[in-house]
Amino acid sequence: MKCPPFDYHRATGVDDAVAALGAAGDEGKILAGGQSLVPVLALRLARPAVLVDVNRIPGLAGLEVRDGVLHAGALVRHLALAGQGLHPLAAEAARWIGHTAIRSRGTLAGSLAHADPAAELPAVLRACDGAVQVAGPSGTRRVRADDLFLGALQSALDDTEMITGVELPVPDAWGFAELARRHGDFAVVSVAAARFGDRVRIVVGGVAGVPHLVDAGDLATVDGELSADRVAILAAAAADDVDPATDLHGSAGYRRALTEQMTLRALADLAGQPRPVREPA
Amino acid sequence: MDHTPAAGTSVRRKEDARLLTGRGRFVSDLALPRMRHVAFVRSPVAHGRITGIDTAEALEVEGVSAVFTGEHPAIGPVALRAQSALPGYVETDQPPLARGKVRFAGEAVAAVVADDRYLAEDGAEAVVVDYEPLTPTVCAWAEPTDPVHDPVHEQAPDNLLLSRTFRAGDVDAALAGAHVVVDRELTTNRHGGNPIECRAGVARYEAADRKLTFLSGTQVPWIVRTQLAELLDLPEGNIRVIAPDVGGGFGVKAVLYPEDVALCLMAMAMPGTALKWVEDRVEHLLAATHARDHRYVLRAGFAADGELLAVQADVWCNAGAYSVYPWTAGIEPLMAGGLLTGPYKLADYRCTVRGVATNTSPSGPYRGVARPSTVFAMEALMDSGARALAMDPIALRRRNLILPADIPYRMPSRLVDDSGAYEACLDQAIATFDLERWRAEQTRRRVEGGRPLGIGVGLYNELTGLGRAASAGPRMAFRTGHDACTVRINPDGAVTVFSGVTSQGQGLETTMAQVVADALGVAYEAVEVRIGDTDQSLWGFGAFSSRQAVIGGGAAHLAGEHVRGKALALAAALREAPVEDLDLRGGQVYMAGQEKPIISLAEVAKVAYLQSDRLPEGFEPGLEGTKFYDPIRGAFAAGAQIAALEFDPATGEIGILDWVCVEDAGRIVHPVIVDGQIAGSIAQGIGGAMYEHLVYDDAGNLATGTLLDYLMPTAGEIPELRIGHVSTPAANPTGVRGVGEGGTLAPNAVVAGALADALGVEIDDLPVTPARVWELMHP
Amino acid sequence: MKITLTVNGERHRLDVEPRRTLADALREDLGLTGTHLGCEHGVCGACTVVVDGEPVRACLMFAVQADDAAVATVEGLAGGADGDGTLHPLQEAFSRCHGLQCGACTPGMLMTAAHLLDTEPDPDRATIRAEMSGNICRCTGYTGIVDAVADAAARRARGLRARETS
Repeated sequence: MKCPPFDYHRATGVDDAVAALGAAGDEGKILAGGQSLVPVLALRLARPAVLVDVNRIPGLAGLEVRDGVLHAGALVRHLALAGQGLHPLAAEAARWIGHTAIRSRGTLAGSLAHADPAAELPAVLRACDGAVQVAGPSGTRRVRADDLFLGALQSALDDTEMITGVELPVPDAWGFAELARRHGDFAVVSVAAARFGDRVRIVVGGVAGVPHLVDAGDLATVDGELSADRVAILAAAAADDVDPATDLHGSAGYRRALTEQMTLRALADLAGQPRPVREPA
Repeated sequence: MDHTPAAGTSVRRKEDARLLTGRGRFVSDLALPRMRHVAFVRSPVAHGRITGIDTAEALEVEGVSAVFTGEHPAIGPVALRAQSALPGYVETDQPPLARGKVRFAGEAVAAVVADDRYLAEDGAEAVVVDYEPLTPTVCAWAEPTDPVHDPVHEQAPDNLLLSRTFRAGDVDAALAGAHVVVDRELTTNRHGGNPIECRAGVARYEAADRKLTFLSGTQVPWIVRTQLAELLDLPEGNIRVIAPDVGGGFGVKAVLYPEDVALCLMAMAMPGTALKWVEDRVEHLLAATHARDHRYVLRAGFAADGELLAVQADVWCNAGAYSVYPWTAGIEPLMAGGLLTGPYKLADYRCTVRGVATNTSPSGPYRGVARPSTVFAMEALMDSGARALAMDPIALRRRNLILPADIPYRMPSRLVDDSGAYEACLDQAIATFDLERWRAEQTRRRVEGGRPLGIGVGLYNELTGLGRAASAGPRMAFRTGHDACTVRINPDGAVTVFSGVTSQGQGLETTMAQVVADALGVAYEAVEVRIGDTDQSLWGFGAFSSRQAVIGGGAAHLAGEHVRGKALALAAALREAPVEDLDLRGGQVYMAGQEKPIISLAEVAKVAYLQSDRLPEGFEPGLEGTKFYDPIRGAFAAGAQIAALEFDPATGEIGILDWVCVEDAGRIVHPVIVDGQIAGSIAQGIGGAMYEHLVYDDAGNLATGTLLDYLMPTAGEIPELRIGHVSTPAANPTGVRGVGEGGTLAPNAVVAGALADALGVEIDDLPVTPARVWELMHP
Repeated sequence: MKITLTVNGERHRLDVEPRRTLADALREDLGLTGTHLGCEHGVCGACTVVVDGEPVRACLMFAVQADDAAVATVEGLAGGADGDGTLHPLQEAFSRCHGLQCGACTPGMLMTAAHLLDTEPDPDRATIRAEMSGNICRCTGYTGIVDAVADAAARRARGLRARETS
């Protein structure tokens, strides 16, 4: 399990990285945390001609809140995201990613660009109706979460573009729940829930090619407190709204049931109610 | 000087100093001058004819020095054939590299030699192989209406490699007279050893004197040497097999693999060049042996009072693409039929077992061999029987256990059980677990709400330390009953032990040192142990069937006693004292009634080696001795596990709340090592019961080919384990019973039993996963 | 590509292919074979080393990425302040509590545990289990490992308290 050969470019800045990617055409790949890319290379499932290492680009690891939005640099590691208090939903979700030795390397932008539908942070980006800042050969652009994820491991980014920053609106209330087979595994189903004003956004991971934003119609508009009844109704609506596939870790029916249960847990957290079922010891 | 026995205390392991500091000597770590590296080209198809192999492009890759295929003159004439005199067993060949056709996805088709592993993999990628697909067989129990299209081996047109029926008494009559009859149809999940160090080998051949050195992460260096001698047509004495530090084995490394043989053959074709192959994890999942892909169709009859009257069983074991070398495809089915009835008394028994070839990775020995499946099967019958009789499941088990008064008990498969400690284990396990408290909690939850809680039980017998009368392996060319040990007193009085045991983490350097120290009468610290090198020690069959503490330990004890006798005789002659009055303790020879030693062992050794002028009449120089030990039969080790698990019917989540295991390990040499063996094997059992599953799709592709899909439990999943002991000394020199495998035997039964107890649903197919629990609750 | 690695305080100049993992550079180029490879795809944790103070999977990082970095491996754990080879308290505890059998996962376990105790001096067993869950052990059933980490933490806490009160 040794990677195929590639050329290595250590980018000194965003412009340099974009230029190197541009020079590589569709043969270039960004090397950020490497926690998903390197296994793919070791399995020889991809053979990029050039890896553009963005890890040493200065100024991309910042975290600050402006106007109720967390602005995070592309190179913010999961450990840093998990340890910050500015955006508690992102912090909680980051704590569910892998293990310390994974979180120490994996980056926020890398996770979003990789677009794994079972990953935690894409679900959070969508739940918060966030966006990414993208640099490319023709300048910069902003891509909203709803437009970023096209399918499993497919994002709207061009091969020559890189994410430079992430905007995560800070919700008024939030909840996160996930069921994984083992400690640190990818979720079988995860749910990120965020409340902004009277709107509740529920995003389900692991049930489609992209993190699935639940369409709950008017039910998602909540005046005042989110009641336990409404939580149950929304959870049922979430389960109705997903169309998961069957795989090794569970049938479509199971994933649908988990969608309801994880939504119940996430919304209970969001509403400050006790979770309906005790977590396993 | 007072001498405390080393056995029975948790002395510091001799292995730890190097393993804790990164100074272990694993085959993967070896670097020899001008060594080259091997990567195998593996078949992407499960079953197909090889219509062409083009190696030209690979030979052009930088750093590649050679490419071998199955047709290469160095490889072509050789085949591995697992032999057995078992009636009806179909012998088949396994080529070192595939010839003519491939029989499973992952089979080695070609091998590339290059300057390093990166380049070897570049070369392997450039080898072009053309396949003409054949119909694959994946499941070992297809309906009779499904004809076998393309048999795996032409010698076995129905894919059946062996079948045997175990018979005792009159099952039909006993079933007819039963008060209740229960039926179960069960399958157990394919999984595997997955030691953290995968397989690894370094082979080097010297043409001038026809000598081959094979450094291998093997559990069975002497078996490997014997088999290599035959396969490579070399004198056995010209082959040196060395197993240095080995990073886990669990049975998977008790096999001589085609890759091993290919590596040696390639080394012989490239004399003077050391060739190294280190298996990566993807290769391990694809092509190291798997295990426990079984189906059980069972019927049992019980009397009204719970007496087990009859068991009828049909068993299918998926043997995979090849009859595992040298153990044969009989390894799992024959163990299943021989030990299905476990710790329960039974007169009327009929069990037909089959080993069926399929286009999947070969099945081989894996910790517990078949018995995690058979214990699951037997305990499922007990639980179903209890439900049918409305009887307490533990009471039903008690009604049928082999008791001390029954010993020696002749099982219906004619194996002789020498244990009878099952009830003692069960009693202690129940007391430690506090069954009443958990039953009360179960009731409380049923009344007040909360996650449903279930209690699962598994009782088992582990057949350990098999002697010649119950040898491992079905009627093979060798009987695995004995090991040798040499104890040598060095000229300075320190002791070097050359033992035939091998260690893959079991701490046998430590255990052998303890046994010899006590038998000889020296301090543990004075004993060094050499293992795993066929040029150093005389003989050992290796690590399998929980045999080494019993057999290797027995040999170590006898050799230690023997050399003690020699040393005392020489001391007696030197000091002109009656030998029967002498005692050797802590490296000093004492005369009865005297406080001070009369001579030290070091002084005796000095005379023996360096001062022949002082040697009394009739004494040869030197001070060493070699002994073999064979326990003839085996030592059964009893065990009981009981656990409380909770289940979330809405999500299928499973929580283990408490887990107790009590085993009869006989006399315990190193308490912490023994508990470590038990805890580790329970963890592997829990892995098999709840997480680990090697899944093939219908086309024979392995769907769980990385550790992202093949889930081994971590510290986050394995609960705190409470381990207790019932120590009934076995009838062997050290009184020990094997302890390597017992822990794996119960978790299938315990988890499945707890699920049924909590939710009232019987689970027939393992593993027990959250998804499966949910499906059972939402049929 | 020419790089400089500082491993356990010792500077090394290496010329490596970009695709060479940090694990292979340590093992094959520097002969530091204490860092083991168990899966080479970032799951088993056997290759865990500490780079610039953070634990990382050495199979998921290229050596060129560690250029100018400080790498700590199991070989550097023992030694005491004056390099006399004294075992690290975790190494002592692993031996005492039987936290290892075959030794293949041990280097990664030790490096993970060392970082845990550096960042969380008094972890409870649940924390230890969670934090060590990125490292697979196939031998011990984890009991001895959790015992060892808890024991090392407790002894260190006692030592610290003793120093404070003296």
